[in-house]
Amino acid sequence: MMRRLLPKRGVLATMFAMLLIAVWFIQLPASAASTAHTLTLDMRQFEFTPGRFEVQQGDTVTILLTASDVVHGFYLDGYGIEQRVEPGISQQISFTADQAGKFRYRCAVSCGTLHPFMIGELVVNTNFPFWRALAMLGVSLIGSLVYLSFGAKQS
Amino acid sequence: MLKRPEFITRVLLVLTVIGLPALILGYQFVLRPHLNSTRTIEISASTPENGGFQPASFTVEAGETLTLRFTSMDVTHGVAIGPGLGIDLGSIDPGHIKEVTLTFDHAGTYTFYCNTWCSINHWRMRGVIEVRDSLNPNAFPANQVDPVIAALAADGVDIDATTHNGSMNMDTTAMLPGRPSALRGAAIAVNLVIPTELQDQAWRRSHTPMQGIALLLSYNANASQTDLADAVAYLWVVEGSAETRTTTAQFYAQNCASCHGETGGGDGFMAAQTTETPVAFSDPNYLFGMRGDVLYAKIRRGGMGTDMPNFGTLITPEETWALVDYLWTLSLETDERTTGEG
Ligand code: HEC
Ligand SMILES: [Cu+2]
Ligand SMILES: [Cu+2]
Repeated sequence: MMRRLLPKRGVLATMFAMLLIAVWFIQLPASAASTAHTLTLDMRQFEFTPGRFEVQQGDTVTILLTASDVVHGFYLDGYGIEQRVEPGISQQISFTADQAGKFRYRCAVSCGTLHPFMIGELVVNTNFPFWRALAMLGVSLIGSLVYLSFGAKQS
Repeated sequence: MLKRPEFITRVLLVLTVIGLPALILGYQFVLRPHLNSTRTIEISASTPENGGFQPASFTVEAGETLTLRFTSMDVTHGVAIGPGLGIDLGSIDPGHIKEVTLTFDHAGTYTFYCNTWCSINHWRMRGVIEVRDSLNPNAFPANQVDPVIAALAADGVDIDATTHNGSMNMDTTAMLPGRPSALRGAAIAVNLVIPTELQDQAWRRSHTPMQGIALLLSYNANASQTDLADAVAYLWVVEGSAETRTTTAQFYAQNCASCHGETGGGDGFMAAQTTETPVAFSDPNYLFGMRGDVLYAKIRRGGMGTDMPNFGTLITPEETWALVDYLWTLSLETDERTTGEG
């Protein structure tokens, strides 16, 4: 009697799988448009200001590089961007932050004793907002619970 | 008694230990200078706090071909030689070598100087080349008096007066309505009566643009203040080729921007550390109250006690006038500035 009313295990699994896919691909207004960042990054012995900044994946980043004592260079790991900057002659670079992760930027021109420690960090956050991950976790959790309990009743 | 193989080994050993270094040193210090007909002078560059250029002065003969080889010991430096030689080796990164081979034709004093900002005292990083002519030892030019600076002194203009102590011969009575535009001025000037004084370069160089505006007004009573300022801006910057403008802009970026600011805002990163605040050329109300010849004199002679360096031993009078011409453009509409990058 009971058995006929309940959907099959396979149908159940497909349903939840499709829900997961829907959650993954649903368009979020926040992540739909990439923003443009413009900032000034100053270099002096032996630090970058700011020493760390964050953007979202897909954003366009425009940096005005200035050197405030001696010649420095800006090298961004992962992106392979390099720009030499002389004091008094600022330089502009721009790129699209298409790779997510943490990337070091370091001084590319030997500028004194502590030159090897002249390092900063760019954080490119993935467009995978926290609550989306949470929703996926919830769906799969409920899914597996339902699946398991039905399986228990069937046998 | 040594066995034969042992004897040979010993000889070989002595040869490598003593002979090899002797060979290398002999080549470097005896053979090479003889093979090379040109004399080579090795100059190391460090920040002024650490000794600057070493050696910082040397004497050469007129007509002698010599090679100057520069290396950097700490941070990136740059080397240019002047006045009037047009030699710019560009920047020298630590551990790299740049060299130039040159011949001085005439006796005189030349300066090699760092043109890449390298420390607070960067602008003190200079060296002197004395060129002698032993065939006519009397040909050495006597300390020349700059006619422009002499004329200012004769005129009773005190070039040691600064804008800060208020005694500068600035005419601050008139206020400009905004940033003048030489482009607009070119079109306006056609419809104005331009007195002969304003067409005379010598007059313009010894008068302030404000005085120019006042004079122009007396001939064109109906013109607006904006139109007059634009026309004067045009008359003041009309001279000079685009090429000179670009090289001058680059010279400004390398040698002045750290104090006076990249766009002349008086806000370079060094501005906070000089005795007096560097002036802002981007302020037309300041700059239009300055005489060109006073700007010229200040650039060549430096500002006593203000930390404004002297550039008279580095550049020619013509190059100094080109700098003055460039400074005027810094006070104009922002898109009428020439940048050193282009
Ligand atoms: C080390 C910093 C520094 C550098 C480099 C520097 N200046 Fe100056 N400059 C100053 C200071 C400080 C003053 C004094 C301002 C005052 O008169 O109170 C000054 C004054 C001047 C004045 C006179 C302004 C006046 O009204 O008295 C001129 C013109 C000038 N500078 C041009 C230049 C040019 C052109 C360069 C590059 C070739 C240059 N300066 C490089 C710091 C600097
Ligand atoms: Cu650095
Ligand atoms: Cu230097």
